[in-house]
Formats: sequence, C-alpha cells, structure tokens
Amino acid sequence: MLIRQISVFLENEKGKFAEIARLLGNNGINMKAFTVSETQDFGIARIIVERDQIERAFNLIKSNSYAVTMTQVVYLECAHKPGAMADAMERLSAAGISVEYMYAFADSSSEFSRVIIRPDNTELANQIIQEL
Amino acid sequence: MSRDEMRELQSEKLRKIVSHAYNNSSFYKKRFDEHGVRPEDIKSIDDIVKLPFTVKQDLRDNYPFGMMCVPMTNILRLHASSGTTGKPIVVGYTEKDLDNWSEAVARCLTAYGLGNDDMVQIAYGYGLFTGGLGAHDGVTKIGGTVIPTSSGNTQKQLQLMQDFGATAVACTPSYALYMAEEIRKQGLDINNFKLKVGIFGAEPWTEAMRKELEEKLHIKAFDIYGLTEISGPGVGGECECQNGTHLWEDLYYPEIIDPVTLQPVEPGQKGELVFTTLDKWGMPMIRYRTRDLTYLNYEKCECGRTAVRMGKILGRSDDMMIIRGVNVFPSQVESILLEFPEYEPYFLIEVDRINNTDTFDIQVEVKPEFYTDQVNEVVRLRQRLTARIQSVIGIQPNIKIVQPGTIERSTGKAKRAIDHRKFE
Ligand SMILES: [Zn+2]
Repeated sequence: MLIRQISVFLENEKGKFAEIARLLGNNGINMKAFTVSETQDFGIARIIVERDQIERAFNLIKSNSYAVTMTQVVYLECAHKPGAMADAMERLSAAGISVEYMYAFADSSSEFSRVIIRPDNTELANQIIQEL
Repeated sequence: MSRDEMRELQSEKLRKIVSHAYNNSSFYKKRFDEHGVRPEDIKSIDDIVKLPFTVKQDLRDNYPFGMMCVPMTNILRLHASSGTTGKPIVVGYTEKDLDNWSEAVARCLTAYGLGNDDMVQIAYGYGLFTGGLGAHDGVTKIGGTVIPTSSGNTQKQLQLMQDFGATAVACTPSYALYMAEEIRKQGLDINNFKLKVGIFGAEPWTEAMRKELEEKLHIKAFDIYGLTEISGPGVGGECECQNGTHLWEDLYYPEIIDPVTLQPVEPGQKGELVFTTLDKWGMPMIRYRTRDLTYLNYEKCECGRTAVRMGKILGRSDDMMIIRGVNVFPSQVESILLEFPEYEPYFLIEVDRINNTDTFDIQVEVKPEFYTDQVNEVVRLRQRLTARIQSVIGIQPNIKIVQPGTIERSTGKAKRAIDHRKFE
C-alpha cells in the first residue's frame, strides 16, 4: 500500500526532535512510526501519522518554520515468521528496485510487522508488495 | 584619445590641482606636510602614489566648509549627504565644477544612446542629494528635455511618463522595480509607454535586477556610478556594451589599492577604489578612499571608448575580514548564493579562532521547495556550495544549513558577519 510520510529537516541541536514530537502531541496527533537519520550537522526525521491527520500535521510543522516535505512511501505488512522479510526484499531486488531507506515497527499484539520502505521506484515496489 | 594622450592630460591636470589644493587649503597643506610631500614632487600621474589619502571622516571633521579651496563667493552650489552617523558631509561647486559635472553626466547619457530628441524623467530626489540636480544638468547639457518629477508620488509619475512619452527614466533601480510593479497593479500597458532607457544608480544592483527591469519596462537598463564626495552621479556610466562602467578619468582619476597595505594593486586586481578629482576646484578630493571594492579594466571597449572600465561593486572594504590569511568579503558569499537556485540569498558568517586556526562558518537556508526526505541529497547540495566558495574565495567554509527563517532578513543593516576572534 502507498502511504504518505512527512519528512522534517532538523538542525543537529539538542531537543529538536522533541520539539516536533511535542508539537504533534499537543495537537492530538499520534506518531505511528518514525525514524531519524542524521549526519554530523543535521538530521531528517521521517514520520508516519494517521491518514486523516497527515495534512494537519504537515501544515502544523510547516507553520512553525520547519522545512517539511511529503513523500510517498510503500507500506508493507510482513508476516511474523522467519524468512518473510527476506522473501519480500528478494522480490524487490529481483525487480531492480533499490531501497533508499526503510524502517520497521514490530507490534507483538499483531501477527504482522509493519515496514516502511522508500524505494527508488515507488509504483513498481508497491505493485510487487501487493502480489506477495 | 589614446592611453598615452590620456596620461599626458592627467599628469598636467594633477600637477595643477595638487598645487591648488596645497596653496588654498590649510587641510591639504597640513596633510601633505605631515606626509612629507610637496606639490613640486608631483611631475606625472605616476607620482600620485606619493600623495596622502583622504577619507570620509576628513569631510566630517571639516564640517561644513573646512575643505573648500576657493572663497565661498565662488561657490555656486552646495550639496550634502546625511549618512547614518554623525554630521553630514558637505560639498561645494564652482561654476567650472558644475560644468564639468554636467559634462560627465552628459557623456553617460550619450553612452546610453540618448540625445537632444530624448525626454528624460528624473525621479531621483531633487535637493541636497546630488542625484536629482546632477542628472538634471546632464540632460540639459545634451539638449534633451527634462521632466523634473523628483521622487515619490508614483501614480503621478506613471501618468506623466505615459502622457508625455518620456523616453528615459532616471532613478534608483529599486524604485524602478516598484514602478514596474505599480504599472502591473494599475492595469497599465507598458506598450503605451515610450521608455527605451533606464538610468539607474545610487545603490548597488545585480544582473538579475537588470534583466527584470529590462523585461518589465521594455528598456535597456544602464548603470550610472557616482558619489557625492567626488561630485555626484556621472563619475562613470555604462555604454551600449553593458560590460563595465566607463569612468571619465580625465575628470576623476581612479586607482585600486589593497585596503590593508594601502599599496596599489596590479592592474585588473580587486581592491578598494580611490578617486582624485583632476578638475574640481571648489573642493578637490585627493586620493579619496571610496571604500567600494571593485577592479579596473584598461582594455579598449568594443564601443570604441578607451576610457577605463570599472567592474561591478563587489562590496565595501569596511566589511572585509582576513580569515586564514585570505581577504574575505561577505558580498562574495552573497553573489555565490545567488548562483544557486536551491539556496536563499541570506547568510550569516561566523569567524572564530580555535586551536590557533581560524574557523569560517556560514549559515545558509535552503529554499523550502528544495528540501527532500533524503539525507544524501542535502549533503550533496552542501558539498556543491562548499566547493564553489572554496574555489572563489580560496578557503574552505563550514556550511551549516539552518531552518527556514532563522537568518535575519532585513536588508542593508542586517548583520552578515560576526567575528568572535580576539586579537590582543
Ligand atoms: Zn564601452
């Protein structure tokens, strides 16, 4: 499934991610998943929120003077069993898709792991994921 | 005129004006005596380097008439420029000075292709400021028609410009942009105007502004350079080639010096522009330091003129910093940022000295539409800027990308560089 992800540019200073988290929290927006990738001087936080809250989250962050972008990413529900993730990744790789970055969030109460994938070819990757 | 003939003329004029200044001004007499130079030491234009410099503070210290070299009865006009601090500076003109000044402006107008058939709307302020009356006298000199609107009241300006069929407008480039915007807002059609030339000066402007003005106003936009201390607008002007500002060097002799060592630089090198007025008698200026940074090109222009050309004003020598032994001007960083569509033109330079090495940090902002979810793209963008600055300035900066809106926006007075180093 294709979903939208919010990316926020963060200066590498203490508490920058906390500011974003607090901003969303104060406005009743729950982060379902996130990852921060960083270099020495800056980081980019990627955040997934509820589908019906994404526009509001985006505008809220933007109006607080953060550089924010919206990107389509692939959402994969991967069965909680050995080799399931390997199967999925092999299929993508066989189709010539390379993954720019990905992050997972396990949920022990569910039979699935949820994985966010940012491939170079989003449409094709999504198609392959659907066929799994 | 060949360059040799020009030097001959400059030498002769320099001898005369130096002896006039020495003999008729206690200021110059004292300054020359302290410097150990006498008028008879000046034989040719090359000897100009023996003379002491004059700076803006000298004009303030001698407020109002202490630098006049003729009796006040021979002064026909006074102009003044306020400046941001302290007393204004005052300049006085004899009849000959006014005539030379209007001749200089007239040469600019001719270089822009204007003549006695043209009608020039002068939207520079009339008054103590040299812009209005200076341009006015120049237009009169070439036999053109003056529309002396002065600045302000834009609606009326535009109405007269259209109804009279002005063929040229003289004003600051930023006011011209404002007029272009008003034309659009008021729903006027630029095709109903007869404008063909814009005469823009009194503030620095960029090639991007030139392009915008030429497109919006259907004109060719020309630079007119000048400063009150030297006489006003018209010290130099561009020609149809728009490739450097010709300086009228039989009237205003230019030099480029290193602002630190005060020594002349090699021809073509960047440095601080210095002028000596070779034919100004009321208040001659000997080696006046303009603080403007630029370079001179002595090659003959494609227009056929041999008069030396001045490059773009690159900044002010007051802003210069020496970082790791290299002269750095904030304006260099600004012009590099303007080359990149991804960056905002705002920046803040911070310099410090850590472990005996100068640090050179530059805060910049990426335009919101160029942000991405990918770290590598931002890293690459930063590397491109780092490499460009290193190749232009000669030292590697540490580029720090900050969040949108972090850097102070107010132009002009905005602090663009902070030097944390302590030199004691
Ligand atoms: Zn030329």
